[in-house]
Amino acid sequence: MAIATTTAQLDRQRVWDVLFHNVTRIFAVGVLILLGGVMVALGIGAWPAFSAFGPSFFVSMAWNPVTDQYGALPAIFGTLVTSLIAMVIGVPLALGVAVFLTELCPAFLRRPIGTMIELLAAIPSIIYGIWGLFVLAPFLQLTVQPFLIDTLGNIPLIGILFQGPPLGLGMLTAGFILAMMVLPFITAVTRDVFLTVPAVLRESAYGIGATTSEVIRQIVVPYTRTGIIGGVMLGLGRALGETMAVTFVIGNAHEIHASLLAPGTTISATLANEFTDAVTPLYVSSLFALGFILFIITFIVLAAAKIMLLRLQQRAGT
Amino acid sequence: MTIDYSAAAPPQQRQTMPTSEPIAPPTPVPAPAVATAKPAVRAEIKDLRFYYKNYEALKGINLVLRDKRVTAFIGPSGCGKSTLLRVLNRIYELYPDQRATGEVLVEGRNILDPRQDLNLLRAKIGMVFQKPTPFPMSIYDNVAFGIRLYQKLRARELDERVEEALKRSALWGEVKDKLRQSGLSLSGGQQQRLCIARAIAVKPEILLLDEPASALDPISTQRIEELIAELKSDYCIVIVTHNMQQAARSSDYTAFMYLGSLVEFDETEAIFTHPREKRTEDYITGRFG
Repeated sequence: MAIATTTAQLDRQRVWDVLFHNVTRIFAVGVLILLGGVMVALGIGAWPAFSAFGPSFFVSMAWNPVTDQYGALPAIFGTLVTSLIAMVIGVPLALGVAVFLTELCPAFLRRPIGTMIELLAAIPSIIYGIWGLFVLAPFLQLTVQPFLIDTLGNIPLIGILFQGPPLGLGMLTAGFILAMMVLPFITAVTRDVFLTVPAVLRESAYGIGATTSEVIRQIVVPYTRTGIIGGVMLGLGRALGETMAVTFVIGNAHEIHASLLAPGTTISATLANEFTDAVTPLYVSSLFALGFILFIITFIVLAAAKIMLLRLQQRAGT
Repeated sequence: MTIDYSAAAPPQQRQTMPTSEPIAPPTPVPAPAVATAKPAVRAEIKDLRFYYKNYEALKGINLVLRDKRVTAFIGPSGCGKSTLLRVLNRIYELYPDQRATGEVLVEGRNILDPRQDLNLLRAKIGMVFQKPTPFPMSIYDNVAFGIRLYQKLRARELDERVEEALKRSALWGEVKDKLRQSGLSLSGGQQQRLCIARAIAVKPEILLLDEPASALDPISTQRIEELIAELKSDYCIVIVTHNMQQAARSSDYTAFMYLGSLVEFDETEAIFTHPREKRTEDYITGRFG
């Protein structure tokens, strides 16, 4: 293109620039407005429940549509406990896979294995739910759970976590499914942050006589700690909000039990199950309130994850 | 020596080590005219060839590294001097498609032998890189890192070893009040001396320095050079450098390499005053490279 020589040409270019600038800005701002709108709508919907029950909504165990009494505690409890189980199982697995992929795996296997792990994220959650209900839950009920009850169930202090009948459905099963679902996310992030470790740093550690496991434990993991935590938080954010698979296998009981084998519920499972049944305004509003609480929890977790990943990038950039 | 190599090295070989000089095969490189009272050979490189996949990066290198002396590798970029250094502690083996043939004899044993224990080898051949590489831990833990890998010392003894290493690397005065701070909090020059302290804390026999001062300012560079002169009394030091003055100032022997071959190897003074090869002369006088 020839160099613009006339003022008319320059003006036309400037107009296009300004137009382009503003159009893209509107798109970007639109996302923010949407986010804010969702939050406001949730807040408005939840308001009747919050004003009717007050702070006791957060600590009440009631969930009775007949008497129109609602409390969020069982759902919050179930959400946190299932996510915690998912993290306890999923994080070590994901770290192990990431270590293998970045440090130990022969080059020709790296891509196939990495891709397959990523494809775990492509399985729709409803499939996880069906598989969990028809395959995993019976398997756990017949093998793993009786074993846990007979062994860990007899240990003082932690035994209480593994008592009661082996139902198959319950918080432990939901935790297992969630662990599988968060695995690809945590693996992908940790693998990427492991790759940010400078080669010379690795070589320095090997160069002083450290073994592979010493290099990983003492150099790679400490160097990438914030990134790993960020990845774990991303996985946690997903586990907290996961709905369909959990709804299938958790048992959907508004109860709190010490035993992980017992059925429970989560916020998202409650919402999925009960919106169609919610007949009274207060019932609907209570579900909105649950959604609002979930939104706040996941927002905080994801924000923390972003901040941590950002910090790692800043350090890698210097 | 604090590391027990007896499991890896047969005793008779260890005994021959101090007297290996007289019976060592004649060095294939042209030896300097004065042959009197030369320090013992610490390592002998014989017909070393190195390949990145099929590309031959080192084309049959022969030279000796002497104890308590500094040997400098100089040459234009891509000549193979860093590659040669990376063969000496086999750090290249971290990467697939890189391999070396020939022999590198240390204490009469070929360290390229696949049976050689890599971790022990790297513990006795320390390496410092171009960019400072402090580990993400405290200054104290950085220096103690290598010691802890191989020895269980009581806290007192470990403290002494860390202090000794930091003193030897001329860093003690600057860090003794902040040993618990992160190694990353130090300046670039201090970080590089920390890396040297970390390398000598395990009491290696050979110290490999890969352009140790090229990322530093002139004052830090000078300190590193003083440190090299200081450490020479205890170690066999090998330094790769782009800086001709640095090679002239700090080394006893200089190897000039070009396109993967060793062009000339001699006492530093001889190389810089009357090189025998035209290419050496051209390089050190700045006509190419």
